[in-house]
Amino acid sequence: MALGLLLAVALPGLATGAPAQSKSPVVFHVAMLGEGVDSLNPFLGFQAPSYEMWGLTYDYLTGYSMKDMSPEPDLATKWTTSPDGLTWTFTVRSGVKFSDGVPLTAHDVAFTFDRVLAKDSVEGTNWLSYLNGVKSVTAPDDTTVVLKLSKPVATLPLLPIPIVPEHIWKNISESQMKSYPAAPTGGKPVVGSGPFLLVQGSADGSTFKFEANKTYWGGAPHIDQVIFQFYKNEDSAVQALIKGDADFVEGINALSVKRLQSQPGVTAHNGNSPGFDEIAFNTGSTSDSKGTKKIGNPNPAVLDPKFRHALGYALNLPQLITKVYQGAGLPGTTIVPPNYTQYHWEPPASEKFTFDLTKAGQLLDAAGYKVGSDGWRTLPDGKPIGTLRLDARSDSPTSLNTMDYFRQWLKDLHIKSQVSTYSSSQLTNVIYKGDFDTFQWGWYVEPDPDSMLSYMTCAQRQHSSDSFYCNPAYDRLYNAQHVETDHAKRVQDIKQMQQILYQDSPYLVTAYSAIGEAVRSDRFHCLVTQPNPGGIWLEQYGVYNYIHMKPASDTSACDAAPGLTGAVKTTSSGSSSSKTGPFLIGVGAVVVLALVGGGIVMMRRRTTVQDRE
Amino acid sequence: MSLVADPGLVADSEEPGARSRGRGYGSYVVAKVLGSVGSLLFMLLVNFFLFRVLPGNAAQTLGRGRLNTPAQVAAFNKAYGLNHSVLDQFWIFLKSTAHGDLGLSVKYRLPVSQLIVDRLWPTLLLVGVSTILSTLIGVYLGIRGAWNRGSVFDKVSTGTSLTLYAMPEWWLGLMLIAGLGVGFAFVPGLFPTGGLHSPDIVDTNSVHGILDTIWHLTLPVITLTLAYLAEYSLIMRSSLLDELGEDYLQTARAKGLRDVVVRNRHAVRNALLPTTTVIALNIGFVVSGAITIETVFSIPGLGQLSTEAISTPDFAVLQGTFLVASAGVIGANLIANLIYGWLDPRVRT
Repeated sequence: MALGLLLAVALPGLATGAPAQSKSPVVFHVAMLGEGVDSLNPFLGFQAPSYEMWGLTYDYLTGYSMKDMSPEPDLATKWTTSPDGLTWTFTVRSGVKFSDGVPLTAHDVAFTFDRVLAKDSVEGTNWLSYLNGVKSVTAPDDTTVVLKLSKPVATLPLLPIPIVPEHIWKNISESQMKSYPAAPTGGKPVVGSGPFLLVQGSADGSTFKFEANKTYWGGAPHIDQVIFQFYKNEDSAVQALIKGDADFVEGINALSVKRLQSQPGVTAHNGNSPGFDEIAFNTGSTSDSKGTKKIGNPNPAVLDPKFRHALGYALNLPQLITKVYQGAGLPGTTIVPPNYTQYHWEPPASEKFTFDLTKAGQLLDAAGYKVGSDGWRTLPDGKPIGTLRLDARSDSPTSLNTMDYFRQWLKDLHIKSQVSTYSSSQLTNVIYKGDFDTFQWGWYVEPDPDSMLSYMTCAQRQHSSDSFYCNPAYDRLYNAQHVETDHAKRVQDIKQMQQILYQDSPYLVTAYSAIGEAVRSDRFHCLVTQPNPGGIWLEQYGVYNYIHMKPASDTSACDAAPGLTGAVKTTSSGSSSSKTGPFLIGVGAVVVLALVGGGIVMMRRRTTVQDRE
Repeated sequence: MSLVADPGLVADSEEPGARSRGRGYGSYVVAKVLGSVGSLLFMLLVNFFLFRVLPGNAAQTLGRGRLNTPAQVAAFNKAYGLNHSVLDQFWIFLKSTAHGDLGLSVKYRLPVSQLIVDRLWPTLLLVGVSTILSTLIGVYLGIRGAWNRGSVFDKVSTGTSLTLYAMPEWWLGLMLIAGLGVGFAFVPGLFPTGGLHSPDIVDTNSVHGILDTIWHLTLPVITLTLAYLAEYSLIMRSSLLDELGEDYLQTARAKGLRDVVVRNRHAVRNALLPTTTVIALNIGFVVSGAITIETVFSIPGLGQLSTEAISTPDFAVLQGTFLVASAGVIGANLIANLIYGWLDPRVRT
């Protein structure tokens, strides 16, 4: 009986495994890892996967290029700026319709932006910084949006705010908004104008189903459905890809990528992501943004820019990349990743940190941190430095390993240190109290580096700043670039800011991290990386690949994208299932089968024993 | 609950003998119920203050890199009531809990009650079914093992269940995924590698949908059942062994009863009490979820919900799941106590 049940249970699985009919829709199954979708309401969520959901559902006034993520037309076909930089006029594409048939006009854009600008509104939490300095938004006609500014804003025309339909969202009051789910209800999809329609899914859920918007203004996608399945466990997600349950897996580690690269029918890579990891210093913790009162107990040594800068020569970054990142990443330099080619400042050879303990020692000697009689370096006043605290995050092996290496290099420099581990939220507390010397963490940097640069300003102390860095010269440049309308001048300021940070070293940027991705290239092709070349396929800025990817059976040429190369081509082999499993796995399964089988046999024996009696 | 309307209580006015027994039980029930309500109220208070010692705050952990300006942080804190003092928050918490409102998750921006309801069903299916299966199989193995102690069956079942008990659940789960989910050698992948439903199932309540859910739950339920097995089989085995030497069994055999009848009618009945305690307690823990297995098999259960809420920290979610978990344990304890009192009058004093 038990066997029968097992078979019955296995049946639907076998049925789904059967070859699909030729007419069945083309479904792109994505296995997602890490944090899930925190909200489908584009005004509320923070997590990266939520941005992916909104990107498929809604449109934006301006988008990002695939090449280098610079702003490009989306709903706005063109824009002009007044000579004083205080008026921006956007021309909105006509003929765009929401999925319920109502036309999308400039009024929807103005409505969306107005909700963000409303004072103290929850809509502003996520998006207000993009409309910083905007006084008013008006839509004089259906195709024109005018932004009036109180001062010029250099980040415009970048406006990555999803445009929601006014005729639906005007009914959501401010008090309803903070918990408005914006999820499909009663089988009806969420209304949006984007390339796909969300038909199934809810925040905190593990499955999200999208259907192609066949009337999308930018042309119908070549696939019929996208289904996101969230996995909590990397091994199962990778197994799902190998088995063919998933067509794409996102966010895997370098070892999985290596393993999948030898898998027939799969293409895997480590794509450069716009993020960096750093070792941060306490440069002077204060109770507020004005620096009124010193708090915490930083070691006097880390307060000194010369000390921090000297340690830049004590980091063997290539070794970190090989050992800690398994080769998936690049040695870091500044807080603007090289992905952003136009903004990144690359230190010239004369200034660039190299792994040179002798030079680090000389710089420390020159700054007064001489080796004392006990063999350890002292402060310039002759007192011992003591033990530097290296704080790592317990939830990140990268963090722990980086700090372990750092401790070793510090020891070679005659500086005592000790690694302490905290959970991320514990470490956040420790940082805000200023009870630290150094810690390891990382940031994601948006295509416009303005936000990232702002975290290093004095005003961000006790807000987004975690190093308490404050340098008036840097602040002046920040404020200048923020309102600079001459792009070339702004780029120059931004590069100079990176140079100042490199010299003062509140952060020692250790690595530009990479994201592991793998696709069933025997089923889908025409994926393009962003930035191009070298970037990532999914969780890009924008949703290019969902629209332009093609099933492998569609052998027509990939959609032309100017200046782009490297679309994933179909591989010749079509083998879809793994025939070899590691020996241990086999043994494990045999053991389990034997146990289950043994149980059944024992149950059967029981009846015979009773019959005998 | 239904025990209050028990015929034994209603009928007590008819017969003097039953009357005294019934009244005694009645007050016993009242005392136990009051005690449980008291513990629950106490948990409610502990609940609030316990989680306030967690490090971090939502605006800093969730909003890292998103809440870029002080104005954005202020708007966020205001919308979700994080700008109030702890005492004010406690007052708001008491008021809303009294109205049956468990508050809003600051991470998912949805009512906590909705999140819990969404997660309750998968949790009950996974942990509930495994608990029942492991109870049945474990008790059976324990009885068989004790009755024929030292036999090959006893040695094999005790050894195996102990081995499985010692095995990390996640490893067993991963082995099952690798073996039966993906397939190896000539064995095809029979079961899914994770999740609760196939993404293409439209109606999860249709026959196909239910079969699909069973298919998805097979491996996780097998894993948990195997992991839980030893707990029941060992306690059943040892308490039955204690009974083996008793005289009443000798008497029963002398009466000429068959061995099976002696075992089932006499020995097992007396040995069942410790096992009942363990079962009742574990049933209470069902609603706490099984975090490791939920993670390995990517099943959205209550265990995952609460552990993820710790890192934010998402106080409303923690309070809600903790309330459900403590209510589960307190409720299961109450029921066990009531059953004891009914079965064995000595317990009431």
